[in-house]
Amino acid sequence: MLKNNKTKYDAIIIGAGISGLVCGCYLARSGMKVLIIEQHDKPGGYCTSFKRKGFTFDAAAHCFGGYRKDGITRKVFDNLEIDKKIKIKQYNPSNIIITPDSKVSIWADLNETIENFQTIFPEESDNIKGFFNCLINADHSFFSQLRSWTFKNLLDNFFHNDKLKAILSAPLLGFLGLPPSLMSAFVGARLFTEYILDGGYHPEGGMQALPDALTKIFKEFGGELRLSCLVKKIKIKNDKIAGVFLDDSDLISSKYIISNCDARQTFFKLVGKERLKEKFYHKIKTMTPSMSNFILYLGLDGYFESLPEHGTTYCFLKDYNLYKSYQTIQKGDFENFEGHMLRVLRDTSTLLSIIPAPHKNKRFWDNNKHKITESLVDKIETYTIPNLSKHIIYKDAATPHTLNRYTLNYKGASYGWAGIPSQLAVPDMRKPSFVEGLYLTGHWTTLGVGISGVVYVAHDTAKMILRKERGKFTESL
Amino acid sequence: MKAETVEEEIISIISEVSGFDEKEITTEKNLTEDLEIDSIKAIEITVALEKKFKVSVRDEDIPKITTVRESVELVKNLLNTNNSQ
Repeated sequence: MLKNNKTKYDAIIIGAGISGLVCGCYLARSGMKVLIIEQHDKPGGYCTSFKRKGFTFDAAAHCFGGYRKDGITRKVFDNLEIDKKIKIKQYNPSNIIITPDSKVSIWADLNETIENFQTIFPEESDNIKGFFNCLINADHSFFSQLRSWTFKNLLDNFFHNDKLKAILSAPLLGFLGLPPSLMSAFVGARLFTEYILDGGYHPEGGMQALPDALTKIFKEFGGELRLSCLVKKIKIKNDKIAGVFLDDSDLISSKYIISNCDARQTFFKLVGKERLKEKFYHKIKTMTPSMSNFILYLGLDGYFESLPEHGTTYCFLKDYNLYKSYQTIQKGDFENFEGHMLRVLRDTSTLLSIIPAPHKNKRFWDNNKHKITESLVDKIETYTIPNLSKHIIYKDAATPHTLNRYTLNYKGASYGWAGIPSQLAVPDMRKPSFVEGLYLTGHWTTLGVGISGVVYVAHDTAKMILRKERGKFTESL
Repeated sequence: MKAETVEEEIISIISEVSGFDEKEITTEKNLTEDLEIDSIKAIEITVALEKKFKVSVRDEDIPKITTVRESVELVKNLLNTNNSQ
């Protein structure tokens, strides 16, 4: 162990989330000596699976997007030849949005989706076409123009019908934990394009297959992964990265550190508050983390009549006022929150249901976990899957506290910093200018959420580092 | 702020965001084609310019910016407008 620690690395990545792994694959493939250090006993971050009583559950992330031809996830995964390790399929429809008045399916074929919306909202026919085409064909300047808009501003720009606007925003409340009036239009538009219009991808065997495949690729390129290992401090010397200290070790030297763990931890704990300028310290301290989630895991006794489509994400919305729903959940008033998102895998007889959840202390969750679980099962049975409770063999749930415990994400935040306009592209959140050699990657960089978002940041971070090291390593991106 | 300083500052921002060395970023470079600025990087640069120079770029001006020179001109114009107000 001690001998190992004396090795000098070119880059150390803290955290084996998807972004850390992808970045590691690129750096290692270029010939850099790379070490990934992960505190959990398996790689993946929020993209993991676990087994209970013979059932395999996806822990949090349950699908991914951006895998169409030329999509960002496709480009990166093809480039790393992930298809040699795992099979990826797309569920079709990827999403179904259910409200008291309608049921809209999002199909892999965009025209089919557009027609579906047009049938329900004929008076908005042209606007629907305009909106979807605008998202799909958007150029760079369009997105820049959205930097200070909310998603509501964007929807208001296209549509009149408030129900339609709520339906288009409902999956985003599920996937991002924000109502349209607070969500950044850029974040919303990207998430909608990548996760809704091109979503529903799932690796065979469960989400864990994805980080496992990336780990294999990383190791084949000579990368080294240490699990169950916590980084205690980032060592900085003369404003340059020197390496990291683990719980029980001497300094492990490295020229670059790429942090795939949360930004507060990176700056306050690992870098150290004393190294931050007053203004930057205050900035991080006052930034808002995203919502967390309450996740229900059910093991079922097999097929039954009312079971939903295999693999499709169902988004149920009872109240069209999403801001009100958001406030209800912020207060922790789960009784009065009627929405939910769920996904059933018929082949494994599992149901996963996800609802947004606020940051509360451990005692709140200890006291309320059981009650919220039962009430969520009740609501699913009432609104989406009749007779569900008769078929449950196994039942458990994860709270924000659980998510924090497994991933160390601040307050169990599910999507890094909240995707609000004032927290978009925050300078120094990716590549702090006051330390040479320190980079952040993943959903805390204020640039990308979801697997496609963090894959983009990972690829870009590797590109920036390799550009800096030009001549020394093969730039194979 | 001096005109040369504005240009230097902008090149430094573009260098930070694009990963290209400052020496490679000359004013005639095309942001998309030469410096690989995509939609996310375009946002990073716009936000960084607005914060650095305390200006606000008008949405309709964004599509007109294709080169480093055009972004320098835009910021200079905004700074002049601010000063004359």
